[in-house]
Amino acid sequence: MKNETQRPFIEKVTQDTRDYVQSLLDEMQRLSRSVAELEVEIQTRDQRELRLAQRMAAVEAESRNFATRYAEVEQQNANLANLYVASYQLHGTLDRDRVVAAIQEIIINLIGSEQLVIWEAEDDDTLRHVGSFGVDADAWRTVGAGVEDGLIGLCLATRTRFIAGESAILPAGREKNLTACIPLLLDDQLAGMIAIFELLPQKEGLAPVDYELFELLASHAASALYCTRRAPAAAGAAQ
Amino acid sequence: MKKKVLLVDDSNTVLLMEKMILAKGPFEIIVAHDGVEGVEKAKSEQPDVILLDVMMPRLDGLSACAALRSDPATAHIPIVMVTTRSEEANIETAFRNGCTDYVTKPINAVELLAKLNDILDANAAVAQ
Repeated sequence: MKNETQRPFIEKVTQDTRDYVQSLLDEMQRLSRSVAELEVEIQTRDQRELRLAQRMAAVEAESRNFATRYAEVEQQNANLANLYVASYQLHGTLDRDRVVAAIQEIIINLIGSEQLVIWEAEDDDTLRHVGSFGVDADAWRTVGAGVEDGLIGLCLATRTRFIAGESAILPAGREKNLTACIPLLLDDQLAGMIAIFELLPQKEGLAPVDYELFELLASHAASALYCTRRAPAAAGAAQ
Repeated sequence: MKKKVLLVDDSNTVLLMEKMILAKGPFEIIVAHDGVEGVEKAKSEQPDVILLDVMMPRLDGLSACAALRSDPATAHIPIVMVTTRSEEANIETAFRNGCTDYVTKPINAVELLAKLNDILDANAAVAQ
């Protein structure tokens, strides 16, 4: 009897419990969907973040490239300025002493050496000293073609240049500090020769622009020296 | 506004090189060919900065630097020494004679412009 009276109550509790469990299951399902959506959103955000990071890295790399390119262009400008100045100075006069002084200034101020000798070709086999700086001029008055006159004599005999580090031959004796020996050639005709010894202490070595200056000196200094020889004759003919 | 730069050097090669480097910036260039002319032009032109070579006829750069520093009319002008010799003793002498900074030959365009801009910026900040 007692059971009969309790039955509605038990049924109600059972129903309530069932409803409650159902609501919990519904809620759990809703939360599961939310979690799944959030996981998708997180994944999307992660992907977006990754794309942004990749884009940022690309932009930074591009920026570094621009900076490098800018520095290269600046360096090219400076190199061109060097070559322009050298060429302008060499061809600004027909006076031999001023041409020799211009060659000296180019070597001291643009290449960076205070030890140099400039010779003019007397004939095919002999060089005559016309200017020097920072060396004993008497020791370099004349140079003949041939190995007995060292590397410079060899350069004279073969009409080839010597640049330290490029050649297997090591300078020795009075040529010990020789950095470069440049024959000045005009259409294969020797106009003179330049020897550059020790570089200034702050110069760590030859830079690419120095090689271009050697090229420029080889031809332009040759033509400038040649013109100074022809100038008096031309002036005489004009009179 | 253009800044006045006085270039003092007996070498036309160096003067031409310096002019080409400074042509990129807002500079008005004045030139002197030795130390004596340099001191005179510094007094008359009152440049914002002086680029002073060390080895020069009549009056060398170190003596010119000392002369400029001892004259109240030019004592305030920043001086950048241009030297072929980077040894410590030479640099010390240059600073003892009152130079503000120095560059070595062969002149590096980027370094020279950076030093000039630093000096001129510092001067402008002091003036404000």
